[in-house]
Amino acid sequence: MEHTSLLEKTLRGALLALIVIFFLFPIFWILLMSFQTNEEILRIPPSLFFTPTLSNYAALITGKLTTAAGTLDIAFMKNLWNSVLLSTASVAIALVLGVPAAYAFARFKFRLGEDIAFTLLSFRFAPPLLVLLPLSLYFQDLGLTDTYTGLVWVYQLIALPLILWIVRGYFEDISPDIEHAYRVAGHSWWRTFTRIAVPLARPGIAAAGLLAFIFCWNNFVFALILASADKQPVTVGALAFVTASGIQYGQIAAAIVLSVTPTLALALYAQRYLVEGLSLGAVKG
Amino acid sequence: MASLELRSVSKAFKTGKVLDDVSLAADEGEIICVFGPSGAGKTVLLRLIAGVEPVDDGAILLEGRDVTDTAPEMRGVGMAFQNFALFPHLSAFDNVASPLTARRATPETIRAKVGKVASLLKIDHVLGHAPRELSNGQKQRTALARALVADPKILLLDDPLRNVDAKLRYEMRLELPALLRSSGSTVLYVTQDYKEAMALGDRIAVLLEGSLAQVAKPAEIYREPASLGVARLFGDPAINLIPVEPLASPSGPKIGIGGASLSLPASYTHAIGKHCMLGLRPESILLGSHPSPESFDVDLVAATPLNEKTLLLLRTADGRELLASEPSADEAPRRHGPAYARFDPSAILLFDAASGRRIAPQSA
Amino acid sequence: MPDIALSLNNVDKVYQRRGRPPVHAVKALSMTVERGEIVALLGSSGCGKTSTLRMIAGFEAVSNGDIAIAARRIDQLPPARRGVAMAFEGYSLYPPLTVRDNIAFALKSARLNAKEVEKSVAEISRLVEIEEILDRYPSSISGGQQQRASLARALVRRADLYLLDEPMGQLEPQLRAVLRARLKSLLVERRMTSIFVTHDQTEANALADRIAVMEGGLLQQFASQKELREKPANLFVATFIGEPPMNVFEAAVENRESMRFAVKDGPTFDFASAELPPNVRQAIGGRDRAVIGIRPHAIRLGAGANEARIVSNQWLGDQSHLAMDVAGKLLVAVSHKPIAAKAGEAIRYGVGAADLHVFDAATAAAVSHGLETA
Repeated sequence: MEHTSLLEKTLRGALLALIVIFFLFPIFWILLMSFQTNEEILRIPPSLFFTPTLSNYAALITGKLTTAAGTLDIAFMKNLWNSVLLSTASVAIALVLGVPAAYAFARFKFRLGEDIAFTLLSFRFAPPLLVLLPLSLYFQDLGLTDTYTGLVWVYQLIALPLILWIVRGYFEDISPDIEHAYRVAGHSWWRTFTRIAVPLARPGIAAAGLLAFIFCWNNFVFALILASADKQPVTVGALAFVTASGIQYGQIAAAIVLSVTPTLALALYAQRYLVEGLSLGAVKG
Repeated sequence: MASLELRSVSKAFKTGKVLDDVSLAADEGEIICVFGPSGAGKTVLLRLIAGVEPVDDGAILLEGRDVTDTAPEMRGVGMAFQNFALFPHLSAFDNVASPLTARRATPETIRAKVGKVASLLKIDHVLGHAPRELSNGQKQRTALARALVADPKILLLDDPLRNVDAKLRYEMRLELPALLRSSGSTVLYVTQDYKEAMALGDRIAVLLEGSLAQVAKPAEIYREPASLGVARLFGDPAINLIPVEPLASPSGPKIGIGGASLSLPASYTHAIGKHCMLGLRPESILLGSHPSPESFDVDLVAATPLNEKTLLLLRTADGRELLASEPSADEAPRRHGPAYARFDPSAILLFDAASGRRIAPQSA
Repeated sequence: MPDIALSLNNVDKVYQRRGRPPVHAVKALSMTVERGEIVALLGSSGCGKTSTLRMIAGFEAVSNGDIAIAARRIDQLPPARRGVAMAFEGYSLYPPLTVRDNIAFALKSARLNAKEVEKSVAEISRLVEIEEILDRYPSSISGGQQQRASLARALVRRADLYLLDEPMGQLEPQLRAVLRARLKSLLVERRMTSIFVTHDQTEANALADRIAVMEGGLLQQFASQKELREKPANLFVATFIGEPPMNVFEAAVENRESMRFAVKDGPTFDFASAELPPNVRQAIGGRDRAVIGIRPHAIRLGAGANEARIVSNQWLGDQSHLAMDVAGKLLVAVSHKPIAAKAGEAIRYGVGAADLHVFDAATAAAVSHGLETA
């Protein structure tokens, strides 16, 4: 019943290798490119052997790009910092707002509860382009264009629904009797929330926070339209490498590597929680 | 002043009315077993008293204080849940100590009280473990310890022995009465097992379809059940019920079973002419191999052993199935086939067929 | 020459787990079941009874040993070819078919005409009392009804062997007693060889001709319930069987002219030389320690050489359970009459020589049962 033939094993291995190569190759290639000069990248035929150079990274970090047409100022490090700031702040606020809200949805049956919850989820599905024009108009009226506050506020559209749905599922999974027992023992409902519900839902909260961070980090459209140069995150900042004198592939590659590394590292570190969180969100939805 | 009082308490859910005008009063230190089939509303009753669910109607008084609208953490009751409801991320010690930390007891007091109740329940050696490392029996005792540790005046136990294996359940059934009595609390103990109710309760409150069918001492409920519904719940195997209509005769009321005409005691003369149900407990049906004046013909279809008794499946001439029981004899088991059954007239129960209420015998 | 319907020879089951040590769930199990016999596999959870049943059914592979039905080896055959009918938890009804069709489906291979099928279905549904739900779908009936329908489906077929896994676990106690009696009647009438798994002794006692008591993967004893109760092979069986089970105490033994069993901090039981037959005294031999067992129904209350304090006296309507504080444990006595004594009072009690069981203190094996050796 448990024998797999050698043929099956070889076939399975070959198939897996193919899939892995298919998905990982672009990342590998980008990594390679980031250590090559533009000339090496554009050389035909492409070769695997080259002398690696750190000039791309140096250019990004120092903020000076030397091209054929002259020296350009690159604000990449500022973009990186913006990404960190925006994502972290958005997730923090979304957690503060979303976790208690998720608890309310999970525990208190109030009128229209399901309808409100579903409306909030629908924000995830709505294409950002739908709201961009009206938003940019509102922002101009409110003076929020090109502010961190404005962007963090808009990022709630990304982070909040995610946190609400994933964390609500985790709260629902906690047997209500455990909270009842704590209250009957003499503790107020606030203490029950902070000492029982939140600790028990911690994996979900962590997963939701992580996912929200990654999605905020990856966001492109909101930041593109509603912010300008010095507030833009790396996703938009990469556009700067499309210069008048040509596309600086080497620097783009290095920029991509630097942009992707934080979220990739986070995801790898917490992959188990992410899978749990993702599937829970899907099932409970 | 009653220690615990329920006044006309009602509760309904979307699925329907679960408790209908329930009133009950328990004296201090009394153990009342709330007994009934699943879905009867027993757990809901405990939750209303604990404050975990709000009542729709009626009042709940603890020690004379109206707590109907008080939050659960202010009611000062101890509760043990059916599925234990231990806090998974806290050690057994912290679980048990929880009611004491809520009352801001000092660490020394906590250590002392937790230690005392843990040694009483024999879980002192596992206090450092997390709940998932405990066996079912240990979890149950931890839940019980948590309910007892703050010396609550009112103790609510929701079928605590349900999820525990048969052997341990039996042992606890023997030990619990002494334990509960020494705590001095007024106890409401919910169970679906009538033997547990009879073993533990000073009184049993029988909850049937949302209302109290009878509240009385165990022996009284067994001997004088208020209704058919109550009689069916007590006794293993369940009581036999035969529709009869007593007829008048020179020698007193008579009923027909399996084609035979049998006498009822004269104290049931007032039941003549009524549609009734005759209740015969298995142990009150006697089987013989020879006919007698008050016997009716039966066919012994099967004899199955039940602990130290034998259960006999009988079929009357008109196709009715009856279960009789007798202490097992060491001789050869009874042979299947024709036999003669009679009942012990002092042990019969008569119920009104329409209302289900018991017809009590009347002395002339 | 007994007609053997099923035989297991030295059957082992080892579960291999990745990253964890293997679990030896069934160890060297050998037993034979005769045609028409009803056998119960009884034990607490984790004892190996369900693994054994699943191996007979074919849902688990045998790690070692072989299984044969009517002398035909079946342990290598897939379940469908073994000629067994089963009612297993999880082997549930087909959702798109009504209950009636589910049961009738089991008769498909029997080549009966429509009228005969209907008759069989009606008969079996009357037995388990599911006539009102025959035309409902599995998803719309309760757990207890599903279980009865599953049972009906297993029983309606003609098969060499019937395997039932906790057949009445979901049913209310009242229904269980009636169904048990009817089920037994059916099994006996049609000489259906059946094996069922249960952790409920009452069920095992009611239905089985012989009961196989299992614990820790090992077969402890395979005998009729009378023998299990009156002659338990070891301490495990003695303290497992019976509601309540046998009372056991460690005792110091003096085997001289008279026989004395002295329980530490507890009672002393003396028997004159005439009370115990010589072969029993010889079996007990020169032991200075042993474990004695007394069945609750065999304790004589009200008179005797010993006295104890009553911890609880519970009248359960048709029997009394009296628990006494003896040597730091509870001695439980059962009587079919009420006992007029309250908790806290003292009561005298005694045991007859014919009711004393002796077990070896080291191996836990039975040495003697009353007036007979083990």
